[in-house]
Amino acid sequence: MINILGQVAEGQIWQPTLTELSYFAPELVLVATLLLLLIGPLIAGRGSGATLVMVVVGMVAAVVANLLVMNQVVTGPVSGLAPAAGHMLLVDNFSIFFKFFLLLFLLGVTVLWMVGSAATERNAPEFYILLLGSMLGMSLMVSTMNLLLMVMAIELASLPSYALVAFDKRNRPGAEAAIKYVIFGGTCAAIMMYGVSLLFGVFGTLDFTRIAPQLVEIFENLAQVPASKLALLGLALLAMGAGIAFKISAVPFHFWCPDVFQGAKIEVTTWLSVASKAAGLCLLLRLLQVLAGSAHASGHGFSAAFYLQVVTGVVAVVAAVTCLLGNLAAYRQQSVKRLLAYSSIAHAGYMLMLGAIVLTGDVTQLVWQTVVIYLVMYLLMNLGAFGATALVIGQTGSDQLENFTGLGRRAPALAAGLAICLFSLVGIPPLGGFIAKWWLLWALGQAAMQQMHWWLWALLLWASFNTLLSLFYYLRVIRQMYLVNDDRPGLKVPAGGVVLINVCALLLLLSGTLLVNPIRQKVGRYTDHIFGQSPASIVQVNQPQNISGNQLDGRSRERIDTQ
Amino acid sequence: MFTAIGLTHYLLLAAMLFCIGLWVMASKRNAIGVLIGVELILNASNINLLAFARYSTGGMNGHLIALFVIVLAAAEAAIAIAIVVNLYKNFMSVDVDKAATMKN
Repeated sequence: MINILGQVAEGQIWQPTLTELSYFAPELVLVATLLLLLIGPLIAGRGSGATLVMVVVGMVAAVVANLLVMNQVVTGPVSGLAPAAGHMLLVDNFSIFFKFFLLLFLLGVTVLWMVGSAATERNAPEFYILLLGSMLGMSLMVSTMNLLLMVMAIELASLPSYALVAFDKRNRPGAEAAIKYVIFGGTCAAIMMYGVSLLFGVFGTLDFTRIAPQLVEIFENLAQVPASKLALLGLALLAMGAGIAFKISAVPFHFWCPDVFQGAKIEVTTWLSVASKAAGLCLLLRLLQVLAGSAHASGHGFSAAFYLQVVTGVVAVVAAVTCLLGNLAAYRQQSVKRLLAYSSIAHAGYMLMLGAIVLTGDVTQLVWQTVVIYLVMYLLMNLGAFGATALVIGQTGSDQLENFTGLGRRAPALAAGLAICLFSLVGIPPLGGFIAKWWLLWALGQAAMQQMHWWLWALLLWASFNTLLSLFYYLRVIRQMYLVNDDRPGLKVPAGGVVLINVCALLLLLSGTLLVNPIRQKVGRYTDHIFGQSPASIVQVNQPQNISGNQLDGRSRERIDTQ
Repeated sequence: MFTAIGLTHYLLLAAMLFCIGLWVMASKRNAIGVLIGVELILNASNINLLAFARYSTGGMNGHLIALFVIVLAAAEAAIAIAIVVNLYKNFMSVDVDKAATMKN
């Protein structure tokens, strides 16, 4: 009975047709680029220029492949490989959006790298192999509902990241950050795998769309479920939570974040701050979405509703604490990289609040609109802020706050772009960050109105209060740039970097003013079909299969009891 | 006392291995020791998978998943040991407590 891929008939190995395989094209292109980067340097040399050409070719090919897949998915009735392969690989509008998101961000990081360290980099091919490897892992993280592939994807995203942090071998902070990262990350991944193995034992499958309905059923009849099974299940869910919380850097799994961000090279820090967290968040939101969908489909009763509320409550509390901790710890920082690391923890907290409302069901569209808008704005803000920091580090050799003194006079264009990005990170109108936060608060408010839960209103107030808190530490940087003055000489920052930062700033400015309506319409239309079909139906595809799942499940319960 | 060995025994063995792994990670200061703790946890999940596949549910899937986990553990060990070597070159020590120069 080899049916690791899920829905394939017993005794038969799933063999994809060419059409099915073509949905996998963006990932295949990434793999091809990886191979090109391994073999290419033998012919073209190991220079940064040759590497860049190969990377750009790969990126263009990946964009084209993604566009082609997008057209197929939008016009076709099914969402990619999902029905055939038991959710081992989902190709829907959301995973396609996320691949575009990663490619856009890779472009930004590449520009940053070209401006900053390309000239002195002696291991350019390896840098990009690791970067693209982690990108492949991240794109798989949001394209699967199978827990095994989920763990593999998280590891595929993490392992190259560990190496990237220690990429500069003579950098002591980098070596220290990498050992902390690998120990912390390895532990969380191992614990997560232990949880997955327990889930496999309880449900007999690792396809989450088949696990979710059974989970709802267990919640519904909690009194009848044997205690041994409940213990396994509780432990399994906790362990899963640990693995995902590590990727998001949610409290209490955030300790790695500031050290890694400070120790790593600035391009790597930029990459991790957005891509890695976004992938973890989208993975969690998708899991919760499927859980909500199956709760909705089964017309669950009071008991299940109560325990889903408990899950929601846990996510909400973690989100609230993550927000507060990020904002409070950012105050004392003298290192701007570290300050931005805590700021990214706080932003992860804001986005995690969406996890608390996705389970309430009726605001699904709004939640996914917020995810799309928030992620794009967050990308622009962080790229701008980290990019400006990279330029300052490049010119002064350190990221201490005192090096930003008088930047408004020493490098006016750079300082203006950075100031806009920082104001946007606070969420001050009329900038993109405000639009993102507005959407978040709107979604929270809508959910609170529909559900009449006081704690959703509390969460909304908490988010606003934290925004206010965050204002002051961002202002510290801006104050240092404009109000503190001494007679330091002007900075000769590379033009490419200044252009990159100001493009980010300009886009943030536009999306907060002229483009508000187009964005709303575009995103609204996009999220209508974000899962290819309607959100609930990705659960229903597999309903008939549940029968066998339940049988296996019953047998396992018997076995555990008789022991 | 001397009943046939079944699923529960294997699950308990795995749980013990998991706890030992956690304890090793928490108590060892040597980076290699900590990594051994991680490997113990991964192998605890392997025992779980095989025991479930043999005694209760999932058929061959459990065996296949365990193969994936073994590969994952190997990849992780390769990267982690490279990073430990790098740590040694920079700090002349593999003590994780020595690598604590970054402060708030």
